[in-house]
Amino acid sequence: MKLLNVYRSEPNDDTKKLVEIVSEGREAEAFALNVESPDYDALVDKIFAADQTICWW
Amino acid sequence: MAKSLGIFVTSPQNMRHIMGVTRAAKAKGSKVKVFFTWYGVHLTKCPDFQTLCELADEVSICADSYKKCGYDPIGDIPKGLVAKDMATQGQHGAIIEDYDCYLTL
Amino acid sequence: MSKKVGFLLANKEYTLDGTRSALGLAVENMYAYAYVLNNELTEVSDYHKENIEWIRDMEGEVYTTVDANVENLGMPKITIEEIGKQLRDLDYIIPYGIMRSDKS
Repeated sequence: MKLLNVYRSEPNDDTKKLVEIVSEGREAEAFALNVESPDYDALVDKIFAADQTICWW
Repeated sequence: MAKSLGIFVTSPQNMRHIMGVTRAAKAKGSKVKVFFTWYGVHLTKCPDFQTLCELADEVSICADSYKKCGYDPIGDIPKGLVAKDMATQGQHGAIIEDYDCYLTL
Repeated sequence: MSKKVGFLLANKEYTLDGTRSALGLAVENMYAYAYVLNNELTEVSDYHKENIEWIRDMEGEVYTTVDANVENLGMPKITIEEIGKQLRDLDYIIPYGIMRSDKS
């Protein structure tokens, strides 16, 4: 199970807890969208490579 | 062959991400479908929305959300869409059933 | 096999529409679950109450972390940790709308 966690904003405590539980024991990667110039090309590659993508708030 | 990508838009804040991801996916030869619901439908008023409709393979919005957000789903169809694109949550179901990858924005 | 989908509803402005969206997938023959996090629902119309009931009828559920929603709307109580465990079994996880900036 390859999981991609994408963040649209800085995660709060609840989000961090959910990510921790959902990612446990899985191959998990993170990608931050809340930067000035996100690398969308890299993001799409990661989405295509993942079994599941969760785009957190 | 590139995987297909469905994007479910529920936030009114992410037009640059929708455009960026759609452009990148299309450049890789991917089929892209975007469905807007609830406050996400406000993005139909962005200057980029029509360009998105040209870029993506399919774009549709929740007509019920559009109406609840104060717009007229019959007399004010967003530029880039036609009447059949003023749709229902079934379009979200179609993304889940028919597309390889899924993203919420 | 029917897909399992979970809606995470963390903002009162988005929660009721999120349940409508969850119902939209339930009627497409998916298992739809919604999780109302940290927002108390007030002024819930009969239409939205019926949506919640309909999700249940279709083998889904609308859970909440908020006691008032348990008392007023009969939603099963759940903790963040329990939500996390349930999410592990779902095919699609949808953090709906935007996150609130506080828990008030």
